[in-house]
Amino acid sequence: MAVRAAFENSNEVGVFATLTNSYALVSVGASENFYSVFEAELQDVIPICHTTIAGTRIIGRLTAGNRKGLLVPTSTTDQELQHLRNSIPDEVKIQRIEERLSALGNVICANDHVALVHPDLERETEEIIADVLGVEVFRQTIADNVLTGSYMALSNQGGIVHPKTSIQDQDELSSLLQVPLVAGSVNRGSPVVGAGMVVNDWMAVTGLDTTATELSVVESVFKLGEGMGPSAINTTNKDTMVESFY
Amino acid sequence: MRIETCYFCSQPCYPSKGITFVRNDAKLFRFCRSKCHKNFKMKRNPRKLAWTKSFRRAHGKEMTVDSTLAFAQRRNVPVRYNRDLVATTLQAMQRVTEIRARRERQFYKNRMKGNKERDLAADRKLVAENQHLLPPQYRDKVEEVLKEDAEDMELEGEAEELEDEVQQKVAKQTLKGKRKQKLVRGQGVEEMDVDE
Repeated sequence: MAVRAAFENSNEVGVFATLTNSYALVSVGASENFYSVFEAELQDVIPICHTTIAGTRIIGRLTAGNRKGLLVPTSTTDQELQHLRNSIPDEVKIQRIEERLSALGNVICANDHVALVHPDLERETEEIIADVLGVEVFRQTIADNVLTGSYMALSNQGGIVHPKTSIQDQDELSSLLQVPLVAGSVNRGSPVVGAGMVVNDWMAVTGLDTTATELSVVESVFKLGEGMGPSAINTTNKDTMVESFY
Repeated sequence: MRIETCYFCSQPCYPSKGITFVRNDAKLFRFCRSKCHKNFKMKRNPRKLAWTKSFRRAHGKEMTVDSTLAFAQRRNVPVRYNRDLVATTLQAMQRVTEIRARRERQFYKNRMKGNKERDLAADRKLVAENQHLLPPQYRDKVEEVLKEDAEDMELEGEAEELEDEVQQKVAKQTLKGKRKQKLVRGQGVEEMDVDE
């Protein structure tokens, strides 16, 4: 299910939220509209946590996470860290990273198996990412942009990259990630797909300006439409899935 | 609200106090007062200024390796809230401060141990080396007393104010002459502080 939403008249949904398969983080807004979009879809499925990071609302850009873990920047206060720990499940590891590049959402793009990171990230940080998120880490650029987290939206089903990514780059990345990739945009042509939307294996939330075409691309590449959910993989879509993967 | 320690002198910076400098590699420098900030701007090394904690640590004046110091660290992995855990933590905090205070006292004692003996030895050496400064009639006596006392010291093993004693002994022998003078002046036969 792909839905449109706006955070206080801003289309950049990925800036104000983090969505994974085991939890969702939503920043504190003036109204609960943005929160209720997530709540409507995920209420009894995964915990949705209202939080700030370092007192700011741009939590989507400052944090990076997947089903197994959550990484927060060094500027996160002790109280916020404690709040996150109390709100999200125990099996999710949380760690604060002491890293110069503190906008972790911009420099890390991860699903449950692989992470693409900024080439200048420190070696220790790379190890922590591999440890906490339980992923293989690759230093990559997307269409010559170092901010992998901003220019790529990734789930376990597929991913969208910057619209100007060349075919060779897409092939290379998709062989690295083992998921189908497509070059596309959100929010009526915005190339920052990572910041313009959030996605997990069941739902995607994009900005209010997203066109129907863009939304259909999102639904098809992340396999979010009716009868294409994760449960369908084992039943109806099994044969086609396996073939398309190899 | 975290109470950070001053980058320069390591004393705690409470909210509303001091100033923070953020370098362009995102490193934070917290200063507790303008004194520390100014010293930092002058590019002074806190390890070389005797009033900072880092100087004291670098020069062996405070405990640096101790298990009680490891508790005051910034932790990056949070633990879920648990009422019992908080209660035990609070108890542990008190206990740790107690233990730490005791260890610090012991450390200070160990550091100061032997100072008295060292001072005494230095004084003795000073007297021995500067015999020529004393009036001629005292010189031999001083040496004798020094020898006697040195033997006594070794036997008793006690540290006494040697210099005073030496001077008292010397003074007693010369007191008669002074008393006479005093009687003449009509000030009575009082004891005088010859030591000073």
